[in-house]
Amino acid sequence: MKVLLIIPAYNEEENILNTCQKIQEFSEEIDFIVINDGSKDNTEKILQENHLNHINLVENLGIGGAVQTGYKYAFAKDYDIAIQFDGDGQHDIHYLPNICEPILQGKANMVIGTRYLDKDSSEFQSTFMRRLGSNILSFVIKLCTKKKITDPTSGFRAVDKKLIEEFAKEYPTEYPEPESTVCMLRKGYRIVEVPVSMNERQGGTSSIRFWTSADYMIKVVLAIMIDSIKKEKRKEK
Amino acid sequence: MQISLNVVLVMITLIYLFLILKAIRKKKLQMSFSIFWLITGVLLIIALLIPNLVETISVVLGFEVPANMIFCITIFVSFYLIFNLTISLSKENRKNTLLIQELSMLKKRVEELEKNAK
Repeated sequence: MKVLLIIPAYNEEENILNTCQKIQEFSEEIDFIVINDGSKDNTEKILQENHLNHINLVENLGIGGAVQTGYKYAFAKDYDIAIQFDGDGQHDIHYLPNICEPILQGKANMVIGTRYLDKDSSEFQSTFMRRLGSNILSFVIKLCTKKKITDPTSGFRAVDKKLIEEFAKEYPTEYPEPESTVCMLRKGYRIVEVPVSMNERQGGTSSIRFWTSADYMIKVVLAIMIDSIKKEKRKEK
Repeated sequence: MQISLNVVLVMITLIYLFLILKAIRKKKLQMSFSIFWLITGVLLIIALLIPNLVETISVVLGFEVPANMIFCITIFVSFYLIFNLTISLSKENRKNTLLIQELSMLKKRVEELEKNAK
């Protein structure tokens, strides 16, 4: 079973080394690839000097394009499981076995690490606004797909070989997490959520999620609804 | 319409056509866009040179004022054009993303091969 961690990083000079070291401490066996999304700081230098496996995008693509590069790499190198993992220290590598388990057992094509499932274990439950945002998105996803996804914007997720191929071919670039979730549900893939706890960012500023803005919410809701009228080939059974 | 105003408008349209032709000659425009802009220029000249053409058409189509017809056509054509522009922009964005990804992956591959060759 070949497992790859895909770590998108944009201006993460403060966090990226720490994140990678934690992964290496956790297990020497795990492959990871950092996708440096055209960072303007020293991220590239740090990756180079510490010999961390990475791809430097020649231009900034945004989180969606960066993560897709990782899936393309995983597809080319024939990995069985690809796990999206944030470079900013928000995600805890110790949940790796949990997040892979449903795929290994053949219960899911995609596993989402969810902040809200287990109230006790998660130190970082996030703010009220965030939860409200997630609830609204969950509701819209339920309307469109009839499936319940508690944390559709979570960036901690694992996919199996079939979805690596799907994502390598096509991946939404603007609101990647919720859009890809809905897209895969509509295609008939199985998505399972497992509880994880997330940390507050350890440094730097989050460029990835503009959570507090209502603007983001409205656009994602519209994006999900628009996605649901797109023509989609269902997976071959 | 006053003769002098008509002359000025024809001249402006000629300048417009000239600018389009210049852009085409310098290969600044793709063929499909060249055709679109040339047609607009030619239509303008025809409308200006044939007296009462615009008035007659607008009466036949039932517009109260000829100007309304002009506005209507202009807005429709503009919307059509902008819509097509957003479509081609999306297409270009897609291609751009693909190019950046493939190029970056190739660069990594080349670096690895160079390292191994040493």
